[in-house]
Amino acid sequence: MNKNKIIFSLFLFACLLYASGIKDRAFEIINKNYNSPKIEIEKFQLNKSLKEKIELEVRQRFYQDYIYVYKIKIDDKEEGFAFIDNVLGKSMPITFMVIFDKKGDIKSSAILKYREPYGGAVSSEDWQSQFKGKNYKSSYSVGDEISAISGATISVNSVSMGIKKLAILFSHIKNDL
Amino acid sequence: MCKILIMSIIILFSLKVNAQDEFDFVRKSTLSGYGELHYNVVEPQNGQTTKKFDFHRFVIFYGFQWNDKWSFKSEFEVEHNVVEGNKGKVALEQAYINFHYADWLGFQAGILLTPAGIVNEIHEPPTFFGVERPTYHSLIIPTTWSANGVGIYGMYKGLNYKFSVLEGMDADGITAKSGIRGARYNGHYGDGHNLMYNIRLDYSNVPGLLFGASATFNNARGDSTVVPWNLLEFHAKYEAHNIYSVFEIGNISYSDIDLERSFGYYFDLGYNVASLLDWETKVIPFVRYTNYNTAASVKNNLVAKDAYNFNKWMVGLSVKPLDEIVVKFDYAQEKNKLTSVKNTYWNIGFGYFFY
Repeated sequence: MNKNKIIFSLFLFACLLYASGIKDRAFEIINKNYNSPKIEIEKFQLNKSLKEKIELEVRQRFYQDYIYVYKIKIDDKEEGFAFIDNVLGKSMPITFMVIFDKKGDIKSSAILKYREPYGGAVSSEDWQSQFKGKNYKSSYSVGDEISAISGATISVNSVSMGIKKLAILFSHIKNDL
Repeated sequence: MCKILIMSIIILFSLKVNAQDEFDFVRKSTLSGYGELHYNVVEPQNGQTTKKFDFHRFVIFYGFQWNDKWSFKSEFEVEHNVVEGNKGKVALEQAYINFHYADWLGFQAGILLTPAGIVNEIHEPPTFFGVERPTYHSLIIPTTWSANGVGIYGMYKGLNYKFSVLEGMDADGITAKSGIRGARYNGHYGDGHNLMYNIRLDYSNVPGLLFGASATFNNARGDSTVVPWNLLEFHAKYEAHNIYSVFEIGNISYSDIDLERSFGYYFDLGYNVASLLDWETKVIPFVRYTNYNTAASVKNNLVAKDAYNFNKWMVGLSVKPLDEIVVKFDYAQEKNKLTSVKNTYWNIGFGYFFY
């Protein structure tokens, strides 16, 4: 096999290796945070007036009128909830997940799928770790509480507001979950 | 090797291109944009003061997403409000198809922004200090620098990489006074004989910090000359804990002409003092020092030593009631090293972006 064929084969292998989906990635992150969890998935329809109230407060629209809620159970007891939603980057949606503990504090957050050529640094675990422990009362001010990322201004603002939006939503719907 | 690259790209496009993810991807258009109004005062040591009111830029971004991976992005710009004769300018600064296979690999083709420095690719007014873009981004990196071409990009563990093949530059436009600024085609029948190559690396895995470098190479063609040149630059930006700081340095080397080198750098430091009062509005005083010399090295006495060597101090203020809206003020003194002539500038600006 000549050198070019080897490069070509490696390239194809790498492409196929990375073709995993959003759900797989969400499960992978939940499994990192919980020991052998059982996960129930619900498509959660947003109440119109609550949706509008939160949008006004955060100054960001929900991408759709529903989000996905993953209920995380261990030994049949609810231990946490993962909310999955999209925010708009410069022109493409950014799919992200926020895991809340039972009280509504953020246990972890992650970008599940990024689709833009710029601003991918919002996927960094170090940057995402700044949201750990925050809840609906916290400040999400970029440049102060949340570090900015050069070249990712829109993504940083969008994702920060998106996480804040879900934290506020959790505080309103936790009893309905 | 070329065949392998083309085959790889075709295979890449055919892999799961129709795959819609499980979160109901919607085909749609997006509209965003930015703009800036400037009030510019120039007080030359020798000469008349000028005062201008200028709606410098009005920019609309239009994007369309076909599916999870394929999208179109464009940036349409009107400069100085009116386009008539030699007044104003209308430009398509970006228009490209983007294929985002995964975080680690994407491809784009069309009119692209040359990936050099911080401001050329990201230039919405609230993202930089000063009413006008830094002088470094006019004379060392000729912002806005658009070019027809293709690029591959990706990110792995905080390391962002990009390789672009773009139209060549016009050797006849290279001058001691403005470096490669006049050599840009900006996508208007750009040179396809001697293509320009750019490689860029950035690291962004430390919250608030970005640093990186790029290298751009081209054998620029003129009517009767070919001028090999290269631009090497380093850039770093820190934005966290209410501190805002930027450093950029760049060098252009030329061969086969009397101009041998252009060089420049600048440093910004600002602090959001409103954080001390717990205000939501950001109030950021800043200071900038710039040195640039488009004829840092010449031969055959092309120009006098230090004829284009300038030092510039600037102090200013950015006030951001929202992250997307900025009111700016700056005051600067620029001194030529050869003549010691000092020019004074002060500017007021209003800028915005929306998405």
